[in-house]
Amino acid sequence: MSANKILIVDDEEIIVKLLSMSLRSDGYETVTANSGEQGLEVFNSESPDIVVTDIKMPGMGGLELLKKIKEIDPEKEVIIVTGHGDIDSTITALQYGASDFINKPVRDEALAIALERAKAKIAIREKLKEYTENLEIKVAEATEEIRRKSNFQRLLIKSSHDAIVAFDHDWKVVVYNPEAGKMFGEAAADVINKMTIDDLYTPKIAKIFKNLAQKEKQQNTLPWKENIINTKDGRKIPVKYTSNVLYKTGEFVGTVNFFQDLTEIKRLEKELVQSERLAAVGQTVSGLAHYVKNILIGLKGGSYVVDVGIAKNDTEKLKTGWKTIKRNIKRIGDLTQDLLTYSKQREPEFENCVPNDIVNEIIELLKDFVASKGISISKELDTGIGEVLADPKTIHNSLLNIINNAIDACIDDEDISKKHEVKVKTYMDKNNYFCFEVTDNGCGMDEDTQKQMFNPMFSSKGGKGTGLGLLVTGKLIEEHKGVIEIKTSPGEGSTFTIRLPYEKENTADIN
Amino acid sequence: MSKKVLVVDDDQDVRSFVVTVLEENQYIPLVAQDGVEGLEMIEKEHPDLVILDVLMPRGSGIRLYHKLKTDETLEKIPVIMFTGIALRSFLKSQKVLDEFKGGEVPKPDIYLEKPVEPEELLAAIKKKIG
Repeated sequence: MSANKILIVDDEEIIVKLLSMSLRSDGYETVTANSGEQGLEVFNSESPDIVVTDIKMPGMGGLELLKKIKEIDPEKEVIIVTGHGDIDSTITALQYGASDFINKPVRDEALAIALERAKAKIAIREKLKEYTENLEIKVAEATEEIRRKSNFQRLLIKSSHDAIVAFDHDWKVVVYNPEAGKMFGEAAADVINKMTIDDLYTPKIAKIFKNLAQKEKQQNTLPWKENIINTKDGRKIPVKYTSNVLYKTGEFVGTVNFFQDLTEIKRLEKELVQSERLAAVGQTVSGLAHYVKNILIGLKGGSYVVDVGIAKNDTEKLKTGWKTIKRNIKRIGDLTQDLLTYSKQREPEFENCVPNDIVNEIIELLKDFVASKGISISKELDTGIGEVLADPKTIHNSLLNIINNAIDACIDDEDISKKHEVKVKTYMDKNNYFCFEVTDNGCGMDEDTQKQMFNPMFSSKGGKGTGLGLLVTGKLIEEHKGVIEIKTSPGEGSTFTIRLPYEKENTADIN
Repeated sequence: MSKKVLVVDDDQDVRSFVVTVLEENQYIPLVAQDGVEGLEMIEKEHPDLVILDVLMPRGSGIRLYHKLKTDETLEKIPVIMFTGIALRSFLKSQKVLDEFKGGEVPKPDIYLEKPVEPEELLAAIKKKIG
């Protein structure tokens, strides 16, 4: 807003008129008064921007008018018109805050200059006011923002599920949230600004964080780790923790520690393991019962056939029945053997042996049976393997088991259009293990079977499997420091690979 | 005339048991070792009764049963399910197969869970074919 309204006060009416005319022609708006009192009245009713007043007037003089105006509104500009060179009045006028002086008789140029200066002052003051107001708003906004942020952060820290503890550069506690209170068992009022890291933590934990701070030479967030913390009141709490080491312009200013209480998670984990174990035991027992029931079916059937044979003196019947009984006695024997192998810890008995020979033996053993089922069996042996130091019993049992499984997978395959085959391969792998690879194109395994195949008593072969074969094999291979790997696809077949560490034959004997 | 009874079971022990029971009671036993062989035998011999195992290689008992009960010429042949599988599991598998193949197959009217006494098996056979 440009200052445009001018109040002219002079007891000489003619001067007021002249000035008024002159200023109007310059584009100002004017109001007038012929005395100090009237001037004050007009000032109040018209609120001019600039007042030009004669100093000497009957009644209220210019100085008094000036004083009163300044009392009402110190920002109004008052130009004093003097005719006397009266130094005292000038000083008083200055003290009252007059903006300028012009001498009588008033010359237009002098007045114009004084008005311009007054206007400039008003403009500057308005600008200043605007800036100040803006600044105030900005400061208020910034303060509000900071307050909000700090409240938010305080709330975050307070309601965090993590225990948060911060230390300053002297290791004095400066932040200690309610969760930390629960974890360490000390009231916040007793901790903040009162305790140091050594008062709050046990020496072991305090040392971890102090060392971390020493090691980190710049601001850094450390990865989460797990540990058990002992609280001063003797509780052991499993936690995940991390620490932020804080630097400000290269200066170590403190650290913030975060702790997550894992008690509940650990408890749930334990519960899960426990219930899985119970389920496994249940499955083991029911699997075993199922298998024993099948043996019982065989024995009962066999003894019935024997009874008939005896009654009729029928040797054929007797033979058939007796074979059934013997077969089932063997099943009991095998089951017992498997159970014992599985439950006992056994050290492999190392001796010089030729893995390829074992493969040949097994294939020879199974040849006729496999042929009778219309399955072809082939081998591809790496002659470079030669003699090794290993347990031939482990190799024999494990290989026999997985080849038998491969054959069963072919027999059980519902897709009878396939030409079923089992391939046995031996080779050295790049990690210096000698390997047996048994591949079939039988029924393969679905996801459920894959998950359970190493579980005790789980069998995918109805009542015909003990559910111990792979389990025993897995155990034997493990005891031999080997690994067993499985690739399978339902309907397409499986590949089992046994890898055993290659130990050269014992050459001491040869020398 | 003696009646022909087909035993379809992959377990040799079960086959010789059932065959003996049948022989002892003047039935003519026929045997098959799996689902595929079983169907061939049924089509060839038209037995008076089929005693059928459930879990077998090459076409399970569930599949063979389904086949029999959806074939116009074979559906009249009575079937005794004779298995180590609980009836509940069998019915569940059968339902899955029904849904898969469409249509609905009647529940087997005689379902024996192994082990079974010879008398029990005989009673079941007599009930179906006298």
